[in-house]
Amino acid sequence: MPAIEVEGLERAFGDVLAVQGVDLTVDKGEIYGFLGPNGAGKTTTVRMLTTLLLPTGGRATVAGHDVVREARAVRASIGVALQEAALDPLMTGRELIRLQATLQGLPPAEGRQRADALLERVELDHAADRRVGGYSGGMKRRLDLAAALVHEPSVLFLDEPTTGLDPVSRKTIWEEVRALNDAGTTVFLTTQYLEEADQLADNVAIIDSGRIVAEGTPDSLKAEFGNPHIQLQIAEGSLADAERACAEVGRLLPPKDGRLIEVEVENGAADIPRVVRALDDAGIAVESLELVRPTLDDVFVAKTGYHIEDESEAADEEAVEA
Amino acid sequence: MEAAAVPTVAVPAWRANLATIGAMMTRARNELVRVPGAAIPGVLAPTIFFLGLNGVFGALTQLSGFSTGSYEAFIVPVSMLQGAGFTGAAAGVNLARDYESGWVDRLLVSPAPRWVILAGTVLAASARAMIPAVFVFTIALLLGAGFPGVDGMVICFAMVAAMAAVAACWGSFLALRFKSQSAAPLMQSGMMALVLLTPAYAPIALLQGWLRTVAEVNPVTHVIEAARQGFVASVTWADTWPGLLALAGLLLVLGGLALREMRRTAQ
Amino acid sequence: MSALVLNARVVAALGMRSIRQTFRRPQLIAPIIVFPTLLLAIQTGGAGGAVELPGFPPVQSFLQFMLAGAMMQALMLAGNSGGIALAVDIEMGFTDRLFTAPIPRFAIVLGRLAGTAALGLFASCWFLAIGLIFGAEIEGGVLGALLAMALVTTAALAVGGIGAAIALRTGSASVVQGLFPLVLVVLFLSTAFFPQELMIEPAKTIAEYNPLSFVVEGVREPIIAGINAGDTLAAVATIAGIFALGLLLSDRALRHRLRAG
Repeated sequence: MPAIEVEGLERAFGDVLAVQGVDLTVDKGEIYGFLGPNGAGKTTTVRMLTTLLLPTGGRATVAGHDVVREARAVRASIGVALQEAALDPLMTGRELIRLQATLQGLPPAEGRQRADALLERVELDHAADRRVGGYSGGMKRRLDLAAALVHEPSVLFLDEPTTGLDPVSRKTIWEEVRALNDAGTTVFLTTQYLEEADQLADNVAIIDSGRIVAEGTPDSLKAEFGNPHIQLQIAEGSLADAERACAEVGRLLPPKDGRLIEVEVENGAADIPRVVRALDDAGIAVESLELVRPTLDDVFVAKTGYHIEDESEAADEEAVEA
Repeated sequence: MEAAAVPTVAVPAWRANLATIGAMMTRARNELVRVPGAAIPGVLAPTIFFLGLNGVFGALTQLSGFSTGSYEAFIVPVSMLQGAGFTGAAAGVNLARDYESGWVDRLLVSPAPRWVILAGTVLAASARAMIPAVFVFTIALLLGAGFPGVDGMVICFAMVAAMAAVAACWGSFLALRFKSQSAAPLMQSGMMALVLLTPAYAPIALLQGWLRTVAEVNPVTHVIEAARQGFVASVTWADTWPGLLALAGLLLVLGGLALREMRRTAQ
Repeated sequence: MSALVLNARVVAALGMRSIRQTFRRPQLIAPIIVFPTLLLAIQTGGAGGAVELPGFPPVQSFLQFMLAGAMMQALMLAGNSGGIALAVDIEMGFTDRLFTAPIPRFAIVLGRLAGTAALGLFASCWFLAIGLIFGAEIEGGVLGALLAMALVTTAALAVGGIGAAIALRTGSASVVQGLFPLVLVVLFLSTAFFPQELMIEPAKTIAEYNPLSFVVEGVREPIIAGINAGDTLAAVATIAGIFALGLLLSDRALRHRLRAG
């Protein structure tokens, strides 16, 4: 039986359909990445799967239990670390994990032992008796992760676990996630970071505006939807002329940066001379040029026409205006 | 990760629920113990009201209709119940704050039943209400209010604990309904109105027109009369059971509303 | 253009901002008006028999007596609220923006006080209307009502100065908010809710010398009896004194804040 099975899952808020007809299956022992910009529906989906939100359509099972009809059984089987690390600043790290153990119904002695073991595991044993209010962002995330694991759940939900963390803390979280998975825990991970999905996930679903637009292993997605593209910066000449010249050789991609031109080519490195010749004929001098392998952002662009970062920024601006 | 090789022994549901309630009460206690001065507002407000009302309206006992010449004795149960209302409403504000911070999600995503989560919040408020109640009670005795007898004192404090639970249910209902601390004034003023639209300032026979009508139908009138009886007369079952019934009814209604909202958070 | 005109414009602009802020957020006004109205209703209904007590001033009704106290309560809460708003501006960094502008520093305080005064005016109109609706008569007629409104508005301005001083000194909204119980204490220890002669010691003696009692009597007299020069002058002098104190404390606090950064 799969760890997570979702059919036609929907969630409406008034007239707004935040999640529209999501279908996915997560096998046991898998790391499943749910990738999309801010406002795509990732958190809404996670909240439905963790029983915090009722679906308005479709169905889902987690660890073999229906999220609506068997909500309590679902909660007993899952560990959750949500987007906002929900920690009490007045509690110590040790107190928090012990509380979580109590909430999960563990006997007190067992809860204490597991709390101590987990604190050591996430390297918070030295700070375990300090108040959480004094923890750094990375420490808070590690504590949140540890609390989600106290009852050894079969399925772990991580909602943007490394958003806002520095690169070192991010790598630490990644290592923890890999280790958990090696020990058999199924991980459902939402992220807006391409690299995170690429590095960690066995399978990735890309969600945009409440719908899954692509699904597969990172490599298969990139191979299927992404072609290599040439990224170049011009030294002299008109940007418009340069773009026209490149368009003769391949497909121009939406500009990410004002001075950068990106053109998707069919033949990879073999098309570089054609691009250079076209630019030369147009009187354009090139400052830099490189062949870029496809990324999940390319897959996103292919399916939606936008870069994943642009979508996130636009969603953030809309949220601020609202 | 290699999970700690710790055996899992099944815990009976009732023990797990009790442990959860206890853990939530311990967490609530943290604010009192770990935040300097956190207990002060909850004690200050009813104490100021007690001293202020006594200083301002103390001469009312000269009116015929008062069964006691001591306004301190008359008003002390009102101030204790006001403290209970304030403490319970504050529990609602804390729940709203916890909701805004995401802490409530941690509780809701656990297998703990919803009623257990609510019970933890409510019982913590009842326990916390003892602090201002003891303070005001002590001040009143020092100012000359007669000791109400052990039975009168027990009944008064029991009413206070139950009133705090009622207020916590009201506050929790509003917190989960509006999901925001901005509902705090409604939590506080609702409880203030409930406690004061009663024979709080004067016996029911001396209340003016509309207030008398409201006091006659307000269930908290019976709670005040029950809490007050030892201070102004002697304790009788006839004066006690209406207060108990009123509290039971309020707990049923407001507790039911709060539980419903807690179950509806996923909608 | 003269400096006076320019400064007046700045104060007016900041004053308008303060007034807009005050009235755009009903959840902030409500406690300032609703709480005293609730207390007025409860105290009138609960302690209304007090008019029968020997020594109680001749009044048409207890409601008529209590209107001044309700207005005092509202204006004190308005002063506290203005202080909180200024403290929030400090915490948010908005006052830093004003400090770096080429405006007189004190315009910042004066602008804030405009919002408090507007709230005081609103409260006086509200409670006079409530009184009239529920049968209380204003013995001093229209002039008496206008006098009461003027005294409440200027008292709100004066109390607002104290609130602003505390905000500037502490820079913390929660500290200013925590002073709310003090507001209640000061009110209870005045003649806001009961005649001084019938209060119980030591509240009775404290109320006799509490400056707020002079303001209360100045507001109350036109309502229950008619305009009385003595009470009016005493109220005006007290308000002027509180205003001067508020200005002095605000000035000192402002200088301290600018020095300390």
